[in-house]
Amino acid sequence: MLRLLALSLFLVALGLLRPVANAAEAAAKTSARAQLIEALLAPTATQAAAIRSLVGLEDAAIAPALTAWRAGELYLVTLTDGTRAPATLTPAPSAEGQLVALSVDNGTPLLDPATSRPLLFAPKQLKPLDTSALLRRAIRDVLEVAGVSDPNPATRRESIERLGQTRKAEHLPLLQTRLEIEKIPAVRTTLNDAIAFIQLADADPQVRLAAISSLASAHSLSAAARFKEALAATPAPPAAEAAAMQTALKKIEAHWQVVNFFGNLFRGISAGSVLLLIALGLAITFGLMGVINMAHGELMVVGAYATYVVQNIFVSVFGLGSFGFNFYFLAALPVAFICAALVGLLLERGVIQFLYKRPLESLLATWGVSLALQQTFRLVFGPANVQINAPAWLQGSAAVSDVLFAYNRLFVIGFAALVVLGGGLVLNRTSLGLLVRAVMQNRQMASCIGVRTTQVNMMTFAFGSGLAGLAGACLSQLGNVGPSMGQLHIIDAFMVVVSGGVGNVLGSVVASMGIGTVDQLLQPVLGAVMGKILVLFAIILFLQWRPGGLFPTRSRSLD
Amino acid sequence: MSASSSLSAPDVEPRFFSRAQWASFLIPTLILAALLPILNAVLPDGHWLKPSIFTLNLYGKYATYAVLALGVDLLWGYLGILSLGQALFFALGGYAFGMHLLLMIGKDGQYKSDLPDYMVFLGYKELPAHWEPFYSFPFAICVVLLLPGLIAFGFGWLAFRSRIKGVYLSILTQALTYAAALLFFRNDFGFGGNNGFTDFKRVLGFDLNSDETRRGLYIASVVLLAAVFLLYRWLTRAKFGHLMQAIRDGENRVLFSGYATARYKLFVFVLVAAITGLAGALYVPQVGIINPSEMTPEQSIEAVVWVAVGGRGTLLGPILGALFVNALKSWATRAAPELWLYIIGGLFIVVVLFLPGGLISIPGKLKAAYAKLTAPKPPAAAASSSAGTLH
Repeated sequence: MLRLLALSLFLVALGLLRPVANAAEAAAKTSARAQLIEALLAPTATQAAAIRSLVGLEDAAIAPALTAWRAGELYLVTLTDGTRAPATLTPAPSAEGQLVALSVDNGTPLLDPATSRPLLFAPKQLKPLDTSALLRRAIRDVLEVAGVSDPNPATRRESIERLGQTRKAEHLPLLQTRLEIEKIPAVRTTLNDAIAFIQLADADPQVRLAAISSLASAHSLSAAARFKEALAATPAPPAAEAAAMQTALKKIEAHWQVVNFFGNLFRGISAGSVLLLIALGLAITFGLMGVINMAHGELMVVGAYATYVVQNIFVSVFGLGSFGFNFYFLAALPVAFICAALVGLLLERGVIQFLYKRPLESLLATWGVSLALQQTFRLVFGPANVQINAPAWLQGSAAVSDVLFAYNRLFVIGFAALVVLGGGLVLNRTSLGLLVRAVMQNRQMASCIGVRTTQVNMMTFAFGSGLAGLAGACLSQLGNVGPSMGQLHIIDAFMVVVSGGVGNVLGSVVASMGIGTVDQLLQPVLGAVMGKILVLFAIILFLQWRPGGLFPTRSRSLD
Repeated sequence: MSASSSLSAPDVEPRFFSRAQWASFLIPTLILAALLPILNAVLPDGHWLKPSIFTLNLYGKYATYAVLALGVDLLWGYLGILSLGQALFFALGGYAFGMHLLLMIGKDGQYKSDLPDYMVFLGYKELPAHWEPFYSFPFAICVVLLLPGLIAFGFGWLAFRSRIKGVYLSILTQALTYAAALLFFRNDFGFGGNNGFTDFKRVLGFDLNSDETRRGLYIASVVLLAAVFLLYRWLTRAKFGHLMQAIRDGENRVLFSGYATARYKLFVFVLVAAITGLAGALYVPQVGIINPSEMTPEQSIEAVVWVAVGGRGTLLGPILGALFVNALKSWATRAAPELWLYIIGGLFIVVVLFLPGGLISIPGKLKAAYAKLTAPKPPAAAASSSAGTLH
C-alpha cells in the first residue's frame, strides 16, 4: 500500500511537470493510470479481475500498454529501491547496444531513483511479463472497448465498426452512451450503423425492422452482404423482414452504382487533367512549333525528380512530417518548372534549332536525347522508383455522399485548370504570346518585320518544357517516380495533341478530358489494359475520319 | 529540291544492273550464302578460317534485321513515310511462325503434353480452334505474309485515304504498335503474355539445335536478304520508283498530275509489311524466342536508326546500318552496358545533325573534300554543286 502511494505520488509529480490544461483532467488521468499500473502489478489470482476493471476507462496509456503486454513486449523492472515498475523497452538498441526502459504511464525513460539516470538493459536481459489465456481474454475485452473512446476519430470509427461486426448485444449500452456524447458526424454515423447492425439480431421484430431501414438509408455495404446472407439462409427470415431486406438491398445497390459512376467520372476527370498537363507543353512545342519532341516525357521526369530533390532538402531542414515539410510541394513547383525549362532550353539550343525544317528528323534526334536522359536518371537517382511523401494537405479525401474526392486528385484538377488559364493568358495577352503566335503563323514574315525568331523559339520551347516539368511535379503526387516514367505517358500525350487538333489549346483540353474519362469509365468494365487499348484504337479510327482532329486549324495551304 | 533532283536524274537506265554492279552484288552474296556455310561445314574445329556456328547464327539474325531495315528505308527514304510500326509487322510474322514452331514441339515440352507449355500452365484443356491450322507449314507461311499485309492494308487504306501524312502518320503508327504490344503483353490474349513463345525444338522435322539446321536458316536469311534487295532495287529503278520519290518530294504535284498517290503508298506499305513479316518468321527460329518486347515502338524506332545511320534513300545503306548498329550493340551491351543508351542516343543525334546521308555518304564526302583540297580554284562552282546534291 505504501509502495503504491509512493508510486502514485511519483506519478502525480510527473503529471505536474507536464503542461496540463486542466487539473481535474490530470487527476482523472492519474487515477486511471494508477489503476492500470496496479492491474499490471496485481497478484495472479486477482489480476484478470483487475484488468477487467479497466473496461471503459478513458486513458491513452491503457491501450498501448495492454497491446505491448499481449505481444510479449512488456517487462517488470525492479528499481534499486526495491519498487517494481512495468516498462516497455525502446525498439532499437543505442550505440552501446543497450535498451532504455520506458515507463508505461507516459513513455518517458524510467529513471534510477538513486542516480536519476535512465535505466539501461542489454537486449534479452529482461524476461517479458507472462500472460495466460484468462488474462489474454481480459485484455481483449479491454482493448475492444477502449478503442471506442480513443482520442483519434479514425481509430474510434474502426473499433466501433469492429464492435458492430461482433453482433454482440452486450456492446449496445456502451455504443449508445457513446452516441450521446459523440460530436463528430462521421463517427456518429458509424455508431448508428454499428448499433443497427447489432440490433438486426434483436429479439423484438419491430427493432429489427427499424434496424434494417436505418441501415438501408445509411447505404451500408456490409449490411447488404449480411442481408444477402440472411435471405439465402435456410430458416428464412419472416416475410416482412425479407421484403424489407429486399428493398433495402435494392436501395443500397442503386446508391452504390451511382456512387461508383461519379467516382469513376471524378477519376476520369483527374486522369484527364494529368494528361492535359502533360499534353499542354506538347501542344505548344508540337502544335505551335511543329517540333516532335520525343524527350517531352523525360522533361516531365526532370520535374518529378526536381520535386524529389526539393522534398529531400525540406526533410533534412525541417524533418519528415513537420509543419515546414508540408510546404515543400509549393516550393517544388517553381523549381520543377525552372529545371525542366533549362533542360528544354539546352535541348533547343543543342539539337532542335537545326531541325525546324525537318520535323521527322527532330523526332529521331529527340528520341536519342530521351534515351540519354533516361540513362542519366538511372545513373543519378538509381534504377528503382524514388519515394515521394505527399504533404499532409494532399493526403486523404473529402466524401460527398460516399463519393470520395481525393485531395491530390482535386489539386491536380485545379492546377491543370490554372495552368491552362495561365498558358492561354500568356499566349493571348502578353507580348511574348503575340510574338509566339506571329512566328507560328508565318516564320519568314515575322522575321522580316523584325521579330527575333530564334529568341522566340527558345522562349517558346523553354516554356513548353517548363509546363512538362510542372506536369511531372504533379504526377509525383499521384504515382511512382522512376527513370522510365516518361515513356508511360508520352504516347497518350501525343494522342491528345493529335486528336484535339494541332495548335489548339481548347482542342487539347477537350481531347484529354474525353480520353481520360472514357478510359476510366471503361476500366471497370474491360480491365485497365483493354480499356486503354480500346481507347487507342478508337482514336486511330477517329483520326481517319477527321484527320485534323476535333478542332482542325483552317488554312489554305496544301502542305 | 525536287527540280534539281529531276534535272540531275537522267538515271532511267536501260539496264537494271551494270556488269560491274552485278559483280559487286553477286560476289558478296555468294561469299555469305555459300562460302561461309561451306567453310563452317568442311573445316575442322579451331581452323582460323572457320566461322563458328554462333557467328553464322548471328549473321543470320542480322540479315533478317537488314530486311526489316530495307523495308523501313523503302517507306521512309523513297516514299517519305516514317512508319513506326515496322517492328509490329516483323513481330507478327514472328508470332505466326512461332505458333507453327510451338505446335511442332509436340510432346517434347516441359509438361509432355500436346498443348504448348504456356497453355498447360494457364490451364487450357484443348487447343483453341484458331491454332489448329498452324500444324501445316504452308498455312503458317501464308499467315506470316498475309497477316501483316492485311493489317497494313486496313490501317494504310484508312490513313492514306484521309491523307494523313508526315508526323501524324508516324504518331499513329506508333500508337498502333503500342496498342498491339499492350494487347500481346496480356496473358488472356492467348499468345503467351510477356513470356511469348520459346523453347522451340524443330522446324520442318529438322532439329533446331543442330548445326545443319542453323546453317540452313542462315542461308535462307541471306538469300531472303539478297532477293529482297533485288526486288526493291527493281522497284526503285523502274518508273514506279521515280513516282515514289516524286510522292516523297511533292505529293500534291503528283496527285494533280493524275496519279492516285494513296494507292501507290498503300501498295508499298502492304508489300513491305508482308516482306517484313517474312523476315520476322526467319528471325524467330534463329533466336529461339518471340515475345511482345519485339513489337514495341522502341524497336521500330531502333530500326529507323539503322536506316538513318546507314544512309536512307539508298538500298545498301540500311543493310550497312543494321549490321553496324547491331554489331555495336552486341559489343556495347557486353563491354559497357550502362553506356549503351548513351551510345545509341548519341548516334541518333550525331547522324541526324551532322550526317544526314548516313555512313554510306562518307566516301562521297571524303572524295568531295579531297577534290576541293586538290583543286581549290573555282570555289563558287564547288559550293553550288555540293548544295545541289544535298538532298
